[in-house]
Amino acid sequence: MKYDVVVVGAGPAGCVTARFAAENGAKVLIIERRSEVGVPVLCGEGISRKIDEWDMLEGDRWIAGRMDGARIYSPDGTMVKLSADLAGNETGYVVYRDIFDQELARRAVKAGVKIMMNTMAIGLLKDNDKITGVKAKQFDEEVDIEADLVVGTDGVESKIGQWAGIETRLNPKDLETCAQYTLTNVECTDAYCDFYLGREIAPGGYIWVFPKGKDTANVGIGILASLSESGMAKQLLDRFIANDPRFKNSEPIRFLAGAAPVANPVETVRDNLILVGDAARHVDAITGGGLTCCLEGGKIAGETIGKAVEEQDFSKEMLSAYETGWKEAFGKKLKRNYLVKEIMLDFDDKTLNMLADSLKDYKFEGISTLRLIKALVLKHPTLLMKLRHLMKVSKEAKE
Amino acid sequence: MGKPKAKVDREKCLACGGCISVCPQDALSWYGSKALVDDEKCISCAICIRICPVGAISGEVY
Repeated sequence: MKYDVVVVGAGPAGCVTARFAAENGAKVLIIERRSEVGVPVLCGEGISRKIDEWDMLEGDRWIAGRMDGARIYSPDGTMVKLSADLAGNETGYVVYRDIFDQELARRAVKAGVKIMMNTMAIGLLKDNDKITGVKAKQFDEEVDIEADLVVGTDGVESKIGQWAGIETRLNPKDLETCAQYTLTNVECTDAYCDFYLGREIAPGGYIWVFPKGKDTANVGIGILASLSESGMAKQLLDRFIANDPRFKNSEPIRFLAGAAPVANPVETVRDNLILVGDAARHVDAITGGGLTCCLEGGKIAGETIGKAVEEQDFSKEMLSAYETGWKEAFGKKLKRNYLVKEIMLDFDDKTLNMLADSLKDYKFEGISTLRLIKALVLKHPTLLMKLRHLMKVSKEAKE
Repeated sequence: MGKPKAKVDREKCLACGGCISVCPQDALSWYGSKALVDDEKCISCAICIRICPVGAISGEVY
């Protein structure tokens, strides 16, 4: 059976792309290597309130908690508090990712999308050099799935891009390696997402505490892979939990690992091929969060695919509307935040403490990166050299 | 004796996919929902060993 589109991976990027492609007239199949959509969860489960504007999720079963704000702690414990208005852009909700993903899949199926589970892509079908579908394996059986367009939404470990000649392999300095416990019987009394920075705490990353409903929380760590040693993420997280009185009487009900690309986005379209979400490296390099890009990018990809099917034109030129679209929507922010990540990696604990101290009484009203940098530079003129390039990009991004 | 090749402990692996994303030789892939090393392709660089968040990959001399 031939489809217009085969989507590899039923995560948020895959389900949203598939849904909007189907709603715009495409015949779509998703293949998913796992045996349950959304499981295992591989995520901190924080997401921006921006999703409210997009109307992609019905009901509230996927919501574990609505956040009132965020607190960022420097290595010496200095706290910078962000209200919901400001923090909401990054951590508005803590969600149940398994239910979240399944809800997105439900909406895709409602739009007419077919799903094949336990089916792993093992290569691309090609006619000479033209991509004509996906070679897959369902249990032990090989199947050829023909399609005019292949969508790679196969996550951080993506192979679809590489098979099409796009370099998606990550340098360890562009990967956060993560571990997380869901702890119950914790003493987290308010709806704030907490972030802990410092070289000893989490080199090149941070520890997070995301409250998840009544007396339960996700407590996780991401460290930069280039600064990691075997098992280090788990060890540092265990130490943090052992030393925090809030978790004294807690017990884990889930333990998971994760990997978040914190790289520059790659080329996302080729003839007969599109990459979306983590596979396209569409992740905020400061937070390691990628869900909003999956949803926003997936919608743009789906709509572009609808047009391609209508015109029966699956060329790179036709599909480039998607690349233009995501660059417009969040490309500049990704580029800027990658630069910020690179700059922050140079900060030692003393600098982080100093910055936190400068910001702890800062009135975060109408915050923009540019204004924030200006305020910092006024206090610490030596930072100017490091941040000059960033200011230029921030002006372009107008955020 | 050859250099140690990476080997995934299938009991410890939590399938995050990090190792697959950084392997410079494309020697890692999914097998039965866990990461698996193709020791023909492995060049003993140990990147995957160092980046594993739960210490599920170690070096083994064949």
